[in-house]
Amino acid sequence: MTGMAIVASLVLSACSQRTVTRVDPDQQIDLSGRWNDVDSKKVANKTVQQFLNSTRYEQYTADNGKTPAIIVGYINNKTSEHIDADNFIKKFEIEIFNSGLADLVESREFRERLREERADQQEFASPESTAKWGKEYGADLMLFGTMTSETDTYNNKKVVNYIVTLYLTDIETNKRVWYGQEEIKKFIEN
Amino acid sequence: MHKLIQFKYLYIIYLLLFTSCTTYYEVNREFNAAFERGNLEEAAAIMAKNKKAAKGKARFLYLANRGVVLSMLGNYEESNQYLEEAYIFTEDYQVNYLNEAAALLTNPNAVVYKGEDHERLLLLYYKAINYLQMGKYDEALVECKRLNIRLQQLSDKYKSDKKYDEDAFIHVLMGIIYEAQRDYNNAFIAYRNALDIYRNDYQAMFQVSVPDQLKEDILRTAYLTGFNEEYNQYKREFGMEDYAYKANEGTLVFFWNNGLGPYKSEWSINFAVVEGQGGVFNFTNEEYGFTFPFSVPVSEEENRSSLSDLEVFRVAFPKYVERDKFYNSASLYIDGDNYNLDLAEDVNALAFKTLRQRMLLEFGRSLLRVALKKAAEKQIEKESEGIAVAVSFLNALTEKADTRNWQTLPHSIHYTRVPLKEGQNEVKLKLQSPYNNGTEERVFNYDINSGETVFQPFYSLEYKHKIN
Repeated sequence: MTGMAIVASLVLSACSQRTVTRVDPDQQIDLSGRWNDVDSKKVANKTVQQFLNSTRYEQYTADNGKTPAIIVGYINNKTSEHIDADNFIKKFEIEIFNSGLADLVESREFRERLREERADQQEFASPESTAKWGKEYGADLMLFGTMTSETDTYNNKKVVNYIVTLYLTDIETNKRVWYGQEEIKKFIEN
Repeated sequence: MHKLIQFKYLYIIYLLLFTSCTTYYEVNREFNAAFERGNLEEAAAIMAKNKKAAKGKARFLYLANRGVVLSMLGNYEESNQYLEEAYIFTEDYQVNYLNEAAALLTNPNAVVYKGEDHERLLLLYYKAINYLQMGKYDEALVECKRLNIRLQQLSDKYKSDKKYDEDAFIHVLMGIIYEAQRDYNNAFIAYRNALDIYRNDYQAMFQVSVPDQLKEDILRTAYLTGFNEEYNQYKREFGMEDYAYKANEGTLVFFWNNGLGPYKSEWSINFAVVEGQGGVFNFTNEEYGFTFPFSVPVSEEENRSSLSDLEVFRVAFPKYVERDKFYNSASLYIDGDNYNLDLAEDVNALAFKTLRQRMLLEFGRSLLRVALKKAAEKQIEKESEGIAVAVSFLNALTEKADTRNWQTLPHSIHYTRVPLKEGQNEVKLKLQSPYNNGTEERVFNYDINSGETVFQPFYSLEYKHKIN
């Protein structure tokens, strides 16, 4: 009996090795059912494509006379999960930048750092190479939004519905140029 | 024949390694005495000398204790080194099945101690507080994210709603860290999650209600995030319609680690074994009304299992011993105002609950251990009665419960926020005790810049000694 126990435990200990497998970042892997990188990418991709190709945006570009400059503001998180807002915002920025249909203006996170660098240059850089104040490109539009989630749970089953609402608004006139919603629904079974 | 004898002697030698009647608390008597008296330098020195424990099966506790003592002494960097090592240990911990099998035959202390659920969380509490005191908010945020992951793992671990699978205080701590980073959105989410857990779980399980400070925290962060709907909704819900956000020049976030958490001891009960049908044996104890059925493998040559005779076994189980609070409340006084330190976490109640919720598992494990030891005894008895007697004797001696736990944790954790002025501030702490008309006072002085937040943990190690 003890002989069997020892053999069994040796086999089991062999099974408990940790393994690490590298996967493609685009591969969709859902483990816990919580908000993950797949969700961020999907929402960013769909919504940016939607508004850049919308008739209202095209009309706005035509009226504007030049490619509009967009600044990504903030995404208010009203869910109960801690979602890395910075990462989420960056995914929007990538989509906008790569589309070629809009210019991107640096958002709040790095804007201050750039201004610090500029201030530093006033003191230390040569006059002809110094970056000047008052020449920042003013954004025309700001993209911001809200995330909410609804959870319905019973026994060991759960349905979570995430709704991301986004607004694209003219900074000068406060007029909303585009408004959209993206939903993600997950069914989690234990 | 020879192989069997060799096995027997090996078994005896292995058992001899575990003969000891003392619990983990008693084994660390010297350290515990120094720590409880507040002789932290001495306690630190004792730990530094004990190199063996750093590699032993209870190294998680050794590292955690070192971290706590150094933190209390103000050596935050060094403290974090040990706490980080303890954290890495819990991350990399994997069940060693060979040891688990060995523990079943001898003693549960043969298994590496992996830490209770709440211990694995509170480890990062100490680490975060170290960083906050050093002003390293980015590093504290890392701990916050680790806590978030640990909380998710904990809530995924248990399916039952009645178990401790959410920690409200840790959410409060996360909120405090986010707020230090001026991430009011995430702070609001954390505080709101804490509110739900206090209401849904903590009130019923540990009799800890929503701290008043938390209600203010929720309103403040809702306001600062711009969540006007939620701001107004919670104002109504809390009955705090008069609340209005007022910006402070500075803030003091005060943590009071009150008293000491429980330590594990053991208790034992005697079970009688009655043979049932088909190789099933019932362990019974009439006094407590227990009956546990066990299926014991029947050896082919005999058609009778080795547990056939009616016998009485002693089985040991772990239990917690409370170290009662000496102080039951405290307040901070500044400029004529007073701020109550609200109870946020009852570590004592938590520990008792988590042990109780796996009592069935502990019972089963202990009984299986004794059953296997007896079975082994019987096998040996066939060869030589003399050795069997020695083995039986040793089995009785090694019958111990796992009495390891983190014994420098506080009994409970309280917190509050106090507004400070730019420049010099004098804050008085008053601790109240129902014993000996005790009040204790301490004064804290802070010299702050505008917009600064100070984080201050305070430890009161006194506890009410029980007279048995």
